[in-house]
Amino acid sequence: MREDTIPKLSKDLCNRMLTDLENARRPVLEAIKCSLDNSNYNPKVGYLTPGNKMVRSELNVASVQKMSRAIFILEILLRNIETGAVNTKRELYYISKGEVKHNPELRPLDFADQSESDSIIDFICEMMECYREDLNCYANDRGGQTYSNQLVVTETLPDGGKAVVDLSTLGTSPFQPKNRPQSLALKAKKKIDFCLVVESEGTANTFVTNGFCRRNNAILLGAQGVPSNAVRGWCKLIQDQLKVPIYFFGDLDAYTLQNIFRTLKAGSAASLIRNSDFSAPDVRFLGVLPEDIKKYDLADYPVKENDLQEARALKKASDALKNDPFFKDKKNKGLSKILEWLLKNKRRCEQQSYFTVDPRDPIMPEKIILEKIKRGDFI
Amino acid sequence: MAKQKITSSSTAEYFSKNLQQVGFSSPTKAVLTTLKEAIDNSLDACEDEGILPELYIEIEKVGAGTIKNTDLIRIKVEDNGPGLNIEDIPKVFGEYLASSKFGRGRCSRGQQGIGISAATTWAQLTSAKGARIITKTKTMRQAVSCLVEVDVKNNKGNLKDKKTISWDRSHGVSVEFVLDGRIQLQGEGGLITYLTGTALVNPHLNLRYKLLDQSVVKVDRVSDKCPDIPNAVEPHPHTMKLGEFIAHSHLFGKATVATFLKKGFSRITDNTFQEFIKNGMNKKFLTQSVDKTTDAQFKDVFGAIHKTELMSPSTRSVMIIGEETFSKSVRRLGEVDFFSVVTRKPTICDFKPVAIEIAVARLKTAQKVEGDDSPPVQVLRFANRVPLQFDKSACAMVKAIETVNWRSYGIPQPKNSLPLGPYVIAVSLVSPFIKFKNASKETVDASDELVEEIRRALIQAGQRLSRHIKKEHREADLEEKLRHIEQFCPILVDCLCRITKAPAKRKKAATEGLVKLLGRDVNAAKKELDEALKHHKEAHAKGKIQIVEKEKAKSEDGEEELKPPHPEDSDVIPEAEEAPVKAKIEKPASKAKKKAVAKSKEKMKEKEV
Repeated sequence: MREDTIPKLSKDLCNRMLTDLENARRPVLEAIKCSLDNSNYNPKVGYLTPGNKMVRSELNVASVQKMSRAIFILEILLRNIETGAVNTKRELYYISKGEVKHNPELRPLDFADQSESDSIIDFICEMMECYREDLNCYANDRGGQTYSNQLVVTETLPDGGKAVVDLSTLGTSPFQPKNRPQSLALKAKKKIDFCLVVESEGTANTFVTNGFCRRNNAILLGAQGVPSNAVRGWCKLIQDQLKVPIYFFGDLDAYTLQNIFRTLKAGSAASLIRNSDFSAPDVRFLGVLPEDIKKYDLADYPVKENDLQEARALKKASDALKNDPFFKDKKNKGLSKILEWLLKNKRRCEQQSYFTVDPRDPIMPEKIILEKIKRGDFI
Repeated sequence: MAKQKITSSSTAEYFSKNLQQVGFSSPTKAVLTTLKEAIDNSLDACEDEGILPELYIEIEKVGAGTIKNTDLIRIKVEDNGPGLNIEDIPKVFGEYLASSKFGRGRCSRGQQGIGISAATTWAQLTSAKGARIITKTKTMRQAVSCLVEVDVKNNKGNLKDKKTISWDRSHGVSVEFVLDGRIQLQGEGGLITYLTGTALVNPHLNLRYKLLDQSVVKVDRVSDKCPDIPNAVEPHPHTMKLGEFIAHSHLFGKATVATFLKKGFSRITDNTFQEFIKNGMNKKFLTQSVDKTTDAQFKDVFGAIHKTELMSPSTRSVMIIGEETFSKSVRRLGEVDFFSVVTRKPTICDFKPVAIEIAVARLKTAQKVEGDDSPPVQVLRFANRVPLQFDKSACAMVKAIETVNWRSYGIPQPKNSLPLGPYVIAVSLVSPFIKFKNASKETVDASDELVEEIRRALIQAGQRLSRHIKKEHREADLEEKLRHIEQFCPILVDCLCRITKAPAKRKKAATEGLVKLLGRDVNAAKKELDEALKHHKEAHAKGKIQIVEKEKAKSEDGEEELKPPHPEDSDVIPEAEEAPVKAKIEKPASKAKKKAVAKSKEKMKEKEV
């Protein structure tokens, strides 16, 4: 979304509300319903898109507090856009507290904790159909530390200047992608063969230290668990601008498949309105695959059903097979088969188990990964 | 053959060594039990003679106790009862199992004749002095003062230091114990809790008490009617075991078995004899004298009786406080916000007649802590109008309270626990045969039938409260909505105008529009509240009419008949099973809230201007 459209959209919205009020009509705010039951998956598009369901919020005695808070926060955000200032959600929470402190009439709007102001910011985003970054509200740039000897990144700075970063000059230090990937442009100094996204940041570090980037014309990045907006947007950029195959290497368990890989590949139900910019549909699941356990004699172990998190992930996996349009689609049959295998066998295998294959060869996992890519042993 | 000689001990000897079984298990309990036994005796004596009781109680520390961590406590209880004849004093205060009430099947507080003798024993064991008694009957010209001590070896009371004194009362008894103990005033085992409870279930009691250094507290009676203690009824044959049955027959000597059965038991008539015969009793036994009947023959008779279906025992022997008097008494608990009282019709549980009365009151003083964080409700348990203060968890009354779903009545409650909030739930169980779990009479045995009967009464009281609490919630809802309008309307319009840079004219028009819009919501809420009030009033009015039809004498005081359970309530008693009950709900008029609504509206108008 262009930067100047937000203030215009906001003013139009407020004007509409004011006119409704002048005519003693109830202003109605509409937002796209961001939930799994309003998610569509078209394999040609490649990510989850919103359906037709809308959340209608009509002004009444019960909703007047929420509306007042939304307009109050919107005013702060518009001021930020006007001055070019940026803030995190927590900072906005304290800014709102400050406003209330200096103007006692606003006391009824005071937020008891950050979760209250966060939900108002999300509500504004859904109402305006924009990203929080469009409102100059940024999250911490988490995950996505990238290593490559071929990649050059050009960042457009807020003042219009350009910063060029050649990743090969960073040594073993990574490049940290931003939550707003729109300001980045990528270029390959030399042909890049593939991009490897490793679930564990630590394992990605090990690969780099052991010379992965020296031996391969590749981009290596660590996802650091559930991918943040930065990681998701960054993968999308790599996919679109460099057109290189992207492989994801992570644990074989229900949580990784649904929460990490699916989010990276097709986005999430909570971010339906921004999946187009924050998902990389071409990313492939390299492993650990169920057949790898037998093939490489990997150390796996049973899922502890009394472990709350693991039990919840299994329950979610069985729900996903029934309700998640991504896993229900024929195109992703290979992935849903893995989920079925996990539910049936109740076993899990971690990415680090590749180190058991030859404990004295530190680059054995790299060798297996390259072999799998070469053989097309991925989903 | 065993070398050790077998000896027999007296009852007094047994109890003197096992005082913990009768309520003297700790110094704190010793003080409370002594006071309780003395008050029970006084109240029973007054009621037997139809005297409105006036009690004066004095408890003070007079030194250090002989037992570690105890004080020497003086407990004095004075009543205006009929007084005791001098020859009865050693029996009453110094002899175990000497009672005028044992097994009589009356709803008296004392039953076995153990308690007060145990108090004398405790005093004697700890301070080497028995009980100091002053007594005067109407026929005595002067009062008699004496000291009673228990002759433990022979289970007899010994009188000492007997002298005549002048006393400013026409009749009555004063009993004074000096014993080792500890004083606890508040809390479940507290003396004040006990005295407040006693006042609650004895509305006809005039009580004055002085505890430690505090000034004298006066609790005036709220009823001038001395309760009519129903006459005792004979036991129901189905409640007896064979041994008891045979022992009971010995009272009838030469009388025929037929006479023994008819006079010794309730629910046995000439007609029932035919049934006994059909069920295998030899007809000849009926004309045979009890003396000549063998144990085997008694066994045949007993078997036939148990095979025959008999009418349930009569409930006439059960007395109730009555909801009218109970309602007046509830107000003596403290500053009560509102309350409901339910009196169930006497019924039969486990072949014994019982009557359950419930009062649920919300106290004004503690309203601030209502909610999930508040402490559990205060439970007051009464058995034959005596407060029970210990071992509440196993008690039938507490079990019944825990099984009721109080959440559906708007009172928070953790699962399978007591509800929470500033409420007092008083459960009074009256029966000539209460099954206690122990000799110290602290816990009523939780039989399924009894728990269910108490539960029903609690549900009815809860339903009354629920209607009231829902009404309150609607009032609070309306207030909340008004507050919202006042607070947020100006802010919302201000923000919108600042963002759109709208002129003052638009601001005014938008404010007016918004107030109009939200006013509609408030009107809808008011309508809901009015409907709730209307529903409440209708229920009240209907109750009055039903009471006029059923119990004309009691129709004056705004009482209402409980309607069948409200469909919204989850704990529903099937209509056919519901016993007629009387209930009363009181609440100061919600005029203050209406005023607040009107005031709030005016304020909004001012703002608009």
